[in-house]
This record gives sequence, structure tokens and C-alpha cells, in this order.
Amino acid sequence: MVRELITRFGRENIGFLWIMAEPLLFAGLVGIVWTFLRAPDDSGISVIAFVASGYIPLTFLRQSIGRSAKIFQTNGSLLYHRQVKVLDFIFVRVTIEAIGATMAYIFAGIVLGFLGFFPFPADISALVGGWAIYIFFVLSVATLLAPFSEMSEAIEKLIPITVYIAIPFSGVFNFAAWLPPNIREAMMWSPLVSGMELMRYGLFGDLVTPYYDLPKALGISIVCLLVGLVLCRRVRRTLALA
Amino acid sequence: MSPSTSNSGSGMIHCRNVHKTYRAGKTDKIVLDGVDFSINPRDRIGLLGRNGAGKSTLIRLIGGVEMPTSGKIIRRMSCSWPLGFTGGFQGSLTGYDNARFISRIYDKPYAEMRAFVEEFTELGSQLQMPVKRYSSGMRARLAFALSLAIEFECYLIDEVIMVGDKNFQDKCKDEFFEKRTDRALLLASHSLSTVRRYCNRAIVLKNGNATVYEDVNEAISVYEAL
Repeated sequence: MVRELITRFGRENIGFLWIMAEPLLFAGLVGIVWTFLRAPDDSGISVIAFVASGYIPLTFLRQSIGRSAKIFQTNGSLLYHRQVKVLDFIFVRVTIEAIGATMAYIFAGIVLGFLGFFPFPADISALVGGWAIYIFFVLSVATLLAPFSEMSEAIEKLIPITVYIAIPFSGVFNFAAWLPPNIREAMMWSPLVSGMELMRYGLFGDLVTPYYDLPKALGISIVCLLVGLVLCRRVRRTLALA
Repeated sequence: MSPSTSNSGSGMIHCRNVHKTYRAGKTDKIVLDGVDFSINPRDRIGLLGRNGAGKSTLIRLIGGVEMPTSGKIIRRMSCSWPLGFTGGFQGSLTGYDNARFISRIYDKPYAEMRAFVEEFTELGSQLQMPVKRYSSGMRARLAFALSLAIEFECYLIDEVIMVGDKNFQDKCKDEFFEKRTDRALLLASHSLSTVRRYCNRAIVLKNGNATVYEDVNEAISVYEAL
């Protein structure tokens, strides 16, 4: 059933291939600006690759979380069919965004790699593993926020803001290795940082020193997911559809 | 999700002590306050009540779109989604896309579905338009076509026959009351002539309570006195 929904939402989103172009454009522009503004980085890492590798997952985060607000209401007409469950909406949404982001990443990697700005991944399993952690956490948070946004209008309005607040805690624009040890320790509570660090290690290899904490990342994600599932169930009981 | 979503076998639909409360600001509005009744196979039940009495709410609960605050709804026959002015469609998709979606989730070959929908709705090329641009009559045609193509054992109809033109009303009557006499029907309606003519039982909703009348004329006189 979920698969059917994916194909269906997929049809709806044919123009959605554009999502791939957007992060690429952003990464390209920011990368160019940074290259001019800052002295060449002697770490051997291209700024463009660094920005692209951070911005694409961030776009995924923003889209998935942002769209989880009121997702039950916006898709409410589909609940007329008893086969369709509220969780399908969240999973389908996140899956589509994840596929889009993955394609954008690969596409950006090929294009930038061809131009010499993007390295071939040093450790593909670390890259994929980090990405999986990142996706899993985003899915958990979306599952948590979707029912919250139905329960309180304030939370619904705050969701876009939280995404921006999340940027410093997402490891998008910095390496954990740059941080003082005590802050770095605190950052380990953010699964986004663990995921991102692992991805960057997979991409750049030994040029970077990754810091990640898998038990914490997975633990936090699982807790969010479980609480989210319970809330989804409760909200579904009182959901009123126009 | 719901206590029973069994979709096979002929049986009945039971509502057991169904309550539904909506939150309206700080107070709770009790819409249904302990509704008990059963739908038997081949039953034609008219659902009467004034505006806001809870007809649509009851139909949405039976259809499983919303959940009762307390009480149980037991479905022992396959039951359509509530056929009404809204719901059941994805507005941004075309009529054909919606037909494809419905045929997939209800496991019905799309080719058959498509042929039936084209024939029943007579919408022609308008089926390639997004459903959100349909008039309510066109929507009703599509909703009926899709649900008739699935062949449910029980149809939940919320007013909507009335919005159609003469041709559509005749078609609905033909499909429901001539061809598919073996199906159950729950029909919320203000059209007393339709209820009198086609229903064998009727329910009057008042103050959150449902009273079942085996004699339709009696129900109608109670309703007219409301």
C-alpha cells in the first residue's frame, strides 16, 4: 500500500525533479562566493564540495520537517479510504524527499566531480551509513512534529523556525573537529551531527577527522520515533476532517 | 486503527454506544451521544435529522474517516467511503488519476474502472482536468462512478444525489435501486420523497440520539415535527 502511495505521490511530483537543481545552484553560488572571500583552504577540501555536501541534506531536512506540519489535514481527503493510514503520509513524504535529495547528491557529485570540485567518495559505506542515520532522524522528527502540529497551532507556526534554529546543530557548515571539545561533546547529542560527520568522512576520507556517536544518534531517533508514533495514534482518534 | 476493518463476507455493520465529541474552543460539543443500531444486508436506511444533527458525522464514523470518541463500530461487510461533496479525492489530480489511485488501493483492474467511469460519468475529456476544478455535480458523478465500480456491500451516501441533474439522479436510482438491490445503503437526505420511496427503515437523529423506525412513514412524520 505504501508503495502504491509512493507511485501516486510520485506522479503528483513530476515537476519535483527541480528540487535536484535547487541545492546544486545554491551550493554552486555559495561555493563560488566563499572561494573568493576566503583564502584557499589548505586542508585539500574544496569549499564547493563542502557546501554541497552539507546543503543537500539540509534541504532534505527543511522540506521533510516543513511539510510535516499539518500533513494529516492537507492529505485528509485520502483518509476517506480506510486502507490509507496517517503514518503513510509521513513515510511517503520523507521517502520522496530522501529520494530527491539522494538524486540531487549524486547528480551534484557527478557534475561537480566532472569539474574537479568534488572528490570521489573515499568510503561509500560510511557515506551511505551517515545518510541513513540522517534520514532516520529526520523521519523520527517528522513523525513527532506531525501530530504536534495538529495539537497546537503555535507549534505548527514554529516548525519553520525550528528548522533554522537546527542549522547550527546540524553540522552542515562546520566540522565537529573545529569545535572546542566541550561543545563538540554537546553536539554529539544531535543525530544530525553524527550523520553529517559520517557522511563527510565517507566523502573526504582521511582528510577529515569525524566525530560521531552512533548509540546516541540511534537512541535519540528511536525515542523520537516511538513518542511520535504514540502521538500519531492519539491524534488520529480526535482528528476532525472538514 | 478501527476495531474491525474486515472487508469480506456478507454481514452487518453495528454501531455500539457510539459517542462523538468535538472540541469547539474551550467547550466540548457533543454531536453523538450513544448511538446504537445495525445495518443488515440489503437494508435501505434513510438518515434524517436537521442541519447539524450529526448525520454527516455518523456517516464519517461508519466509513472510518473519523474515530468515535467512545463506543465501537463493527464492520462485517465492505463499506464505501462516505460519498459526499468533499473527501476521497486528491484535488490536484485529474479524474483519471483519481480513478487509478482508487483502483489501486481497492485492488480493482484499472481498465475496467476506467471504462465504467467514462460510461457512468459522461464527463468525457473533463476527466483529464484536476478534480478541484469540478463542479459539485461533476464530483458527485465521479464519486459514484468510482464507488460503484468497486462494488461495495454497503454504500454510505451523504446528501449528494441531490446535487446531480435529472440524468444523474436517474442513473443513481437505476444503479442502486434496480441493479444493486442486494446492497445495503445508508442515505442521509433531506429529500423525503426519496427516503419514502426507496428506504425500508429510517433513523432520526436528534440531540445526539438516534431512533430507528422500521416504518419509514412514521420516521418522516417525526422528522417533520422536529
